[in-house]
Amino acid sequence: MNTLDLFALLPLIILTTSIILVMLVIAFARNLALTCLLCCIGLASTLLSIAWVGSSADSGYVTPLILVDAYSTLFSGLIVAAGIFISLISYSYLKHRGENQDEFILLLMLSTLGAVTLAHSAHFVSFILGLELVGVSLYAMISYPSKGLFGLEAALKYLILSGVSSAFILFGAAMMFAVLGTLSFSEMASSAQAQSTIEHWFILIGTTMVLAGIGFKLSLVPFHMWTPDVYEGAPAPATALLATISKGGIFAALLRFFLSFDGYQYNLITESLFWIAILSIVIGNVLALMQTKIKRVLAYSSIAHLGYLMVAFVSASILSGKQLAIEASIFFLFAYFITTIGAFGVVAIMSCESQGSDKDEISHYQGLFWRRPLLAAFFSAMLLSLAGIPLTLGFVGKFYIVAAGVESELWALLVAVVIGSGIGLFYYLRIIFSMTTHTDSDEPIAIPATGGWALGTLAFLLVYLGVYPTQVVDWVSSVAKSMI
Amino acid sequence: MLELGLFYIAATVSLVSTIMAVTRYNAAHALIYLIISLLASAIIFYLVGAPFAAVLEVVIYAGAIMVLFVFVIMMLNLGASGDTEEHALLNPSMWIGPSILCAVLFGEIVYVLSGAQQTLAGQVIGPKAVGLELFGPYVLAVELASMLLLAALVGAYHLGRRYFIDAREQDNG
Repeated sequence: MNTLDLFALLPLIILTTSIILVMLVIAFARNLALTCLLCCIGLASTLLSIAWVGSSADSGYVTPLILVDAYSTLFSGLIVAAGIFISLISYSYLKHRGENQDEFILLLMLSTLGAVTLAHSAHFVSFILGLELVGVSLYAMISYPSKGLFGLEAALKYLILSGVSSAFILFGAAMMFAVLGTLSFSEMASSAQAQSTIEHWFILIGTTMVLAGIGFKLSLVPFHMWTPDVYEGAPAPATALLATISKGGIFAALLRFFLSFDGYQYNLITESLFWIAILSIVIGNVLALMQTKIKRVLAYSSIAHLGYLMVAFVSASILSGKQLAIEASIFFLFAYFITTIGAFGVVAIMSCESQGSDKDEISHYQGLFWRRPLLAAFFSAMLLSLAGIPLTLGFVGKFYIVAAGVESELWALLVAVVIGSGIGLFYYLRIIFSMTTHTDSDEPIAIPATGGWALGTLAFLLVYLGVYPTQVVDWVSSVAKSMI
Repeated sequence: MLELGLFYIAATVSLVSTIMAVTRYNAAHALIYLIISLLASAIIFYLVGAPFAAVLEVVIYAGAIMVLFVFVIMMLNLGASGDTEEHALLNPSMWIGPSILCAVLFGEIVYVLSGAQQTLAGQVIGPKAVGLELFGPYVLAVELASMLLLAALVGAYHLGRRYFIDAREQDNG
């Protein structure tokens, strides 16, 4: 490993060093403000180093495990930026919850490291290590609150299902390794040509098992059963992390795997992804209609959103629409990150004074417009973006998805997107409507400064980039071009 | 051909013991079958020319982790019910199955180690080769695994604390 390799690894090195530093600081002095400050400085310097490396280093492999290129720069930048916002929101959320909250921040940084590894991974070894790093940190984050068994139940569900899905991925990778003799994505592609029938089936079954495992992690229908319970039981910042950083990192690795291995050459797999996308959109949206808790609504809506993302993912199977489809999926993920962190951030801010479980009944939000107009406006912006209303980032993202579907002529998927968005509008607007109704409750809602500013920035980005998305679009399309 | 026969015997032992481990109702019995399953896979590793992996399988999985599990489960069964439980362990129907499987594996390993038999693969991967790979191209995997262990450690520490807190509150009232 030479100096150039070490330079390309700079973001990972800085992130790891700051994790160790934060751990040592926690060991000597427990101070949540200091821990959060160090975490934010660490993540911010990682972000700077990602920008620096992305602009000056040549793309290439650093050891067979890690691939540094424009794609990994984009995704790791997105993930680390999300980490900063979530840590700011976590600070406000954890501040009033008694002692020993520092490890949450440490675990947050560790799972960010896992997701950054996933964004860089070009090999099954780094892929699985990254996946487990995200997963293991999340088990503890989901069950973090030291009171109540609710979080523990959620963590247990997540632990079991995530363990099963990891087993699926490992078994699938082993089957592919048995035939191909390598675990590197690009080498697998070159030795996947000219196989006998039995070997072909080994690869096919292996890929399917890997996809099933990833389906669990991305909570796509029919692997979605755990999602609402885990989202509901976990503390809101952990839910935000689970919904964005974890899923984003895994999707980045999945897309890279499929593009370099050319998983689209297997019709059976493309076909099943097609149905997974349709089912996720329809079932996610329909089940969201019946929920009375905001976190459960957001859980089902995240299932539906991952379904929209899979529409773009499937569109990449058609050669003519490949570049647009990659562009669409990256941009949609970008919009999804900002919107989802914002939405769960509002839930976290609302619950930051309460000691027990989070305030996520819709009734808690009744009359929010009269009590806390700014917070209600932020929340409405996030919900409208999830619904895909123009002038928000969510609209541009959904527009991209539809464009990718049209380019690849996948009409059935487009019909599902339209129906899903129609249903979605109803339950998002129902929450906004309940925020406008009058209420007699005059329980004060305090908005902490850090979390409030983080939310404000997110809402600003949401609207600003929704109106002027050009810069992001240019960036994303140059990355998509480099992936073809 | 005989090597292949040895492989199939070890594979059968591994399958049988895993199925038994999954279907046992008593956790201690299940763990004993699981240990045998791990020993059988260690022999398979040895037969395919990976003696170092075989040793690790025995030392780490069967030796450390599983014995720890057995201890924890046995310690949880304290009291009068624990005594009857342990009495039941001495019942022949409980230990005869694992013993037979173990005896098969033992016979096999004695036969292989007596030098009568070569391993399946022509090439034997020793500890040096494994070490060179681990600290050469896969050094980042080692680093990432250490961060993974850190995450697990911090998480386990935090989750373990809540029981201390619960116990302290119970003591106070």
